Amino acid sequence: MVVAAPLLTAAFVIVAPSKQLTVLARASAVATSALALVLVARAVKDAGHPLIGNWIVVDAAGALLLSVTAVVGLVSVLMSASYLQSAHSSFVADGHRDRVYYVVVFVFWAMLLAVPLAGNLGAAWLVVEATTATSALLVGFSGKAHALEAGWKYLILTSLGLGIALLGIAILAAGVPTGEVSGLAWGRLATFGSGRATALSAYLLIVVGLAAKIGWAPVHNWLPDAHSQAPPPVSALLSAALLPTVLLVAWRTERALAPLIGVSAAQRVLIGFGLVSLAVAVPFLWRPMAFKRLLAYSSLEHLGVMALGIGFGTPLALAGVALHIVGHAIAKALGFCAAIPLLAHEPRSARHAVSGIGRTAPALGATMGLSLGALSGLPPSPLFVSELLILAGGFESGRPWPAAIAAVLLALGFLGVAHATIDTLVGKAHRRNMTPLPGLRLVTGLGGVSMIVLVGLTAVAPWLSGSSFVAALVRGLP
Amino acid sequence: MTVAMGSLLIGLGLGVVVVRRRSVAIALVTTQALVLAAIALRQAGTASDTVAGLALVMRAVALGALFFVAVARSRERQPLRARVTPMVRAGLAVVLILIFTALVPAFGLPSRHAEPVELALVAAGLTCAVTRRSTLFQVLGIVLVENGLALAGIEAPHASSVIIELGVTLDLTLVVGVAALFHLRIFSEFGAGDSAALRSLRD
Repeated sequence: MVVAAPLLTAAFVIVAPSKQLTVLARASAVATSALALVLVARAVKDAGHPLIGNWIVVDAAGALLLSVTAVVGLVSVLMSASYLQSAHSSFVADGHRDRVYYVVVFVFWAMLLAVPLAGNLGAAWLVVEATTATSALLVGFSGKAHALEAGWKYLILTSLGLGIALLGIAILAAGVPTGEVSGLAWGRLATFGSGRATALSAYLLIVVGLAAKIGWAPVHNWLPDAHSQAPPPVSALLSAALLPTVLLVAWRTERALAPLIGVSAAQRVLIGFGLVSLAVAVPFLWRPMAFKRLLAYSSLEHLGVMALGIGFGTPLALAGVALHIVGHAIAKALGFCAAIPLLAHEPRSARHAVSGIGRTAPALGATMGLSLGALSGLPPSPLFVSELLILAGGFESGRPWPAAIAAVLLALGFLGVAHATIDTLVGKAHRRNMTPLPGLRLVTGLGGVSMIVLVGLTAVAPWLSGSSFVAALVRGLP
Repeated sequence: MTVAMGSLLIGLGLGVVVVRRRSVAIALVTTQALVLAAIALRQAGTASDTVAGLALVMRAVALGALFFVAVARSRERQPLRARVTPMVRAGLAVVLILIFTALVPAFGLPSRHAEPVELALVAAGLTCAVTRRSTLFQVLGIVLVENGLALAGIEAPHASSVIIELGVTLDLTLVVGVAALFHLRIFSEFGAGDSAALRSLRD
């Protein structure tokens, strides 16, 4: 039902009257996210007993990503009308623009919702690959030269990455004794019988291939371009939902193959990707950069933090990962949604760094400040707490050096984003478009709700690592 | 799989890496996909194996048609010159094949010839995607990689599933369809399906 609802909506959008598109999309988005959140509530309530089948799995980690994808998808659809109202160009003819946009968004959202529910590695790969085709169309949706470039890079690089991952999956499939799809079920990957060296090769191919889709450095080249050129609601879905959802596939693969290749070897790969991603992101966070591009490099940093947490693997670190995924999703979705009124207020912001938004549009400046402040890890942001938990988990797991290096890189990243936050709020202001800004009221309301949720997350963080939910994350799938 | 069949598949793959004309490359990739489908149907032991083989036939025909439509709608006055010469591209592909064969341990396919052929097709696809300027050749590189992976599905006993094969066929057709749309828009925007024109977004 969770996956079928957005697919059905896409079908209805094709035949619905033009004037009803927005209402239909919004109503269906509310229904889809409600269905997903009901499933999440059941999974969290009974976190110790995941529902496991050959094709579908509902566990704690899946519930976490399902909730994020449901909420970010809802926000993206709600904000889409404001984007379409302010957009001037499109990949498709004007008469069909809104219809095509909503159809592709709902199909993309359906595939995203399917990833955390995929019960085996083969199915997970299929739905991840399906997100590529749909999201590439959305990245290039404006039809402008830069958007075409970004969409093309995204399509080619992630498809090649997923091809490499499929080679790893093919190697695993050849070595599992049960055969057919059940052999690729998460819990049965450990029955792989072709030896440790082959399993390690398969694991490396899968993780390196998925890294291209997750946006981990050094295979992240598409990420800043795609995030900056996609329509803002789509950027929110890409950054806050797609990247961590594909990360879940890498996480599950690591957990499934660790008994074969060794827990330490499996975790070291993720720690390596985490540190490299942080190291590559930090210099860019220090540079004056277009707002959406800054958010994209922030995604690189935060996905690196999540990789570190999963690599450390202790209850403290995994509590940090859970908190980080949710906090990052809220702050990043808010930031990308704020880009809709920002681009109308200051069109130069599409290509250049902005300053003094708080002076010329206080409500918009406050929303952007909240997003950037939370993403920088400024206390009381939950990302501050989650990063502390992950670093503490690193020391707890006996990996003081990676944790110490990450601490230094995070401090540098904080300074970079904090500087951008201050400049955005109270920097030098230029003459700007002061007409009513599209979506500003919705974004301001979203900012208020986000602030309450972010503070709430910080408040519950101290109890998280001892919870049954985190215990279920540590256990993984049986 | 026989040595001759493996050599044919690798030869077709390397052909895509070196040829200049898009239509010739499309013919080579389509032929390769049809050869794979023929192998799958010949080795099919069950009804689901036959369906999986038919999915490969469907995929070969659908992708070939998509590529030829894209070429027909984006006629070039002369083929794009690639960044590297055909001999260098072929050399790079061979080096990558040797590296892959050396680094990836045997993964247990019943036919001892199938594993190096699979790795060779993946390596040829990667080389094609990375070294060609033409947008269509880059997509053909992805299809070459997927053809190599299809071989693993055919040769591994019970490893393939009809649903997975059909899913991969659908996914790949979608990706190539979207890539063809992008190719046509890039062609109309820049006057050529040239990925070298797509380098303005840099930090």
